[in-house]
Amino acid sequence: MGTPSDRGIATARGGRKRGRPAVGRAPRALLAGAALSLFVLALPGCTPRAPSGRTVVFWQFSPLADIRPILSKFEAENPGITVQVEQLTWQSGREKIVTSIAAGRPPDLCELGSTFLPGLVADSTLLDLTSMATVLRDSLVGWNIVTDHGRAYALPWMLGTRALYLNDDLFRRAGLDPANPPATWAELRHAAREIATKIPDAKGFGMNAGEREILFKKFMPFAWGNGGDILDPTGTRSVMGSRQNIEALRFYLSLKPYSLLDRQEMHEQAFQKGRLGMIISGPWLLRTLPETAPDLHFSVALMPRPSAERGTSASFAGAEVLGIFRTAKNKEDAQRLARFLVRPENTMPLFLATGNAFPAATSAQADAYFSSHPLDRVFLTQIRTAVAPPLHPRWVEIEEIVNAELEEAIYGAKTPEAALDDANRRIAAALTREP
Amino acid sequence: MRHGARPLGVLPWTLAFLFFGLLPLAYALGLSLLEFNPLRPDRVQWLGLGNYVDALRSPSFWRALRTTAIFVVGTLPVTLTLAYGVAALLARARRAESFFRAAIFFPATLSMVVIALVFKSLYAEEGLFNSWLAAGGLSRVHFLQDARLALPSIMAMDIWASIGYYAILILAGRKTLPDDQLEAARLEGLSTWEVERRIVFPHVKPVLLFVVLLNTIRSFQIFIEVFVLTRGGPLESTLTLVYHLYDRAFYHFEMGYASALAFLLLLFVGVILVVQRRFLGARAEVGR
Repeated sequence: MGTPSDRGIATARGGRKRGRPAVGRAPRALLAGAALSLFVLALPGCTPRAPSGRTVVFWQFSPLADIRPILSKFEAENPGITVQVEQLTWQSGREKIVTSIAAGRPPDLCELGSTFLPGLVADSTLLDLTSMATVLRDSLVGWNIVTDHGRAYALPWMLGTRALYLNDDLFRRAGLDPANPPATWAELRHAAREIATKIPDAKGFGMNAGEREILFKKFMPFAWGNGGDILDPTGTRSVMGSRQNIEALRFYLSLKPYSLLDRQEMHEQAFQKGRLGMIISGPWLLRTLPETAPDLHFSVALMPRPSAERGTSASFAGAEVLGIFRTAKNKEDAQRLARFLVRPENTMPLFLATGNAFPAATSAQADAYFSSHPLDRVFLTQIRTAVAPPLHPRWVEIEEIVNAELEEAIYGAKTPEAALDDANRRIAAALTREP
Repeated sequence: MRHGARPLGVLPWTLAFLFFGLLPLAYALGLSLLEFNPLRPDRVQWLGLGNYVDALRSPSFWRALRTTAIFVVGTLPVTLTLAYGVAALLARARRAESFFRAAIFFPATLSMVVIALVFKSLYAEEGLFNSWLAAGGLSRVHFLQDARLALPSIMAMDIWASIGYYAILILAGRKTLPDDQLEAARLEGLSTWEVERRIVFPHVKPVLLFVVLLNTIRSFQIFIEVFVLTRGGPLESTLTLVYHLYDRAFYHFEMGYASALAFLLLLFVGVILVVQRRFLGARAEVGR
C-alpha cells in the first residue's frame, strides 16, 4: 500500500508550506499518521476487485475451502466474471446482511436462511425471481419456502430438516428394540420413560430449554403432525389455540419428566456421551458422531406421528436459499451464478463437503450416494413431509410470540391451554397491525 | 513544548472522536426521533418523541431495566469488595508478587466472548461445576436453564472476570501511598486493621470512586455475556437493556426505537453517575 502512505505524507508537508504554525517532529508524525489513517479509512472498501471484467460479490455460510472449487468452476465457465466470496457465520450473518442493505452496499448474491426470508420479503428487499423460478420449477424442490402470493423471492439451494436420533445401546438396555423405533407419540413416550427409569444417569428425550429462539422448531412438528398450525391457510387468522395444538403441547409436555431440559448443543453432547436416549437433530450429527463418539451405536428415524391411524410424521423444514437484493450492483451476473449453483452437479459436492443440508435439485436427490447411505435417506424422506414456516410479513413477531408462550408452558409458568390461548390472542393482535 | 503543538497533538484523537464518537451519536439521536427500518429507507416517518414514549410505556423496557439494575446493584458491591480485598493481599505479597499480579489480571486480557464460552461449558449439566456437585453427593443444578439462577450465574461470571482489572487499579492507588507514612502509623502502634481503615482506605477513595463509575457504566452495558449464554432467557430473566435494544434493532429492524432505548440508557447511566459522583465524590474529598 505504498500509494496511500505517500499521499498521506504529502498532505502533511503541504500544510507546512502554506504557512501553518511550525510543529515539532513528533506532532508532525502524528499529523501524518492521522492523514494516512483518514485516507485509508476513506478508501472505498478494502477488498480488492478484479482489475478488469465483472465481479459478483457472493456472501454465503459454507467454509471457503468447500465453496471455492465450485466457484472456480463457474469462473472457468464464465470468463471475465470473478466471484468475490465471503463466508458469513450463522451467529452474526443476519446483522451483517441487514447492515449492508442499510448502507446500500449489499452483496450481489446472498445465501439466506429460510427464517431470514419473511422479514426481507415483507420489506420488499429481495428481487422477484419468479421468471427464473418458472424455468427451474421442475428441477428444484422447496419452492413453498421461497414463494409468497405466487411470487418467488429466492431459489431453493440446500434443504434441511430434523429427524429423531436413537441411542441403540440405551434402547437395548431398556428392553426396547432399536430396529423398531418409536413411530407414534405413545411409543415415543414409552421409550423415553423406559430409558429414563431403567437406566441410571440417562434421560429418555432431549427437550429444549434455555434457548427460546428455537422452541417453535422443536414443538411445531408435533402440532403440524397433528393437523395443527400457527396461521390458517389464508395467513390472516391465528389458529394457535386450536384443539390440535393443545393436544400436541400436552403430549410434548408429558415427555418432560423423562427429558433432559437443556440447550440443543448440550443435548448433542449428552447423546454423544451415551446419556440420552433420543434427540431431535439435523444431519450434521451424522458427520460428527462417528468422529466424536466412535463407539456410539445410533440410528435415525422419522418423527413420530400422533397415532398409527392418524396424523403425519412432520418436521421443521429449513432451507438455505439464494437471494438477490434489489439494490445489488450486479444483478445479472448474480442470477447467472445462482442458476449455476443450484445445478445438481454443483450442489452434490457441497453436500458431500459440508453434510448439513441436502441439495434442492431433484436429480441430486436421486444420486447413488443416498442408496448406500440409509441414514441420510431418512432425512430425504423426512423432507417430503417437513413443514416450513409461512412467508408472512409479521413472521418475526409471530415466531417470537410462539417461542415466548411455549417457554412459559415448558417452565410450568402456564398450562398448555393458557399458553396457547395467550399465543393465539397475541398473534391475532399482531396480525391487525400494519407490517 | 511550544503552544502550537498541543492542538496538533490531540488532532488524531479529536478527529477519531468526531467521526467515530460524536457523528454516530448525533446520527443515532436523529434516528431516535424517526420510525426507521434499515431495509425500508423509503418509509422513514417522523415520530418526534414517539419512540421514547413507546419505550417508557413498554413492559419489556421496564423488565429489561429492572434486570439491568439488579445486575448493577448485585455485581458492583461484590466486585468492589473483592477487588479491594485482592489488592490488599497483593500489596502484602512478599514473594512472586509479579506472578500473582499477572495471574489476577489475566481474565482482563481475555475477550468476554471467550470467557462466556468457557463458563457456558462450566455451567452445563455435564460441566465442571455440576461434576463437583455430583461428587459431593448433591443434585445437579441447571445454572443457565433455571429462571432463578440464570442471572446470578451470569453475575458470578462477570464478577470473576472483572475483579482482576479493578484490583490492579486499586493496587496502583495503594502504591502511591508513601511508605514512610505507613511506617509512621505502625510506629504509633496502629494495628493492621486501623492502618487499613484510617490511612489506606481514605487514600485510595478517589480510585474507588473511579472504579465505581467505571463498573457502573460497564454493568449497564452488559450484552456479550447475555448474548453468548442465555439470549435473554429463560422467561426473560436475563433480558438486559442492551440485549433488548439489540433484539429490537436487528431482529425487528426498529432502528429508531432501538436508538431511543440507547438514549434512555445514556440518560439513566448519566443520572446515576452524577448521583454517585456527588455522593461518593464528596465523601472521597472529605476522606482526603
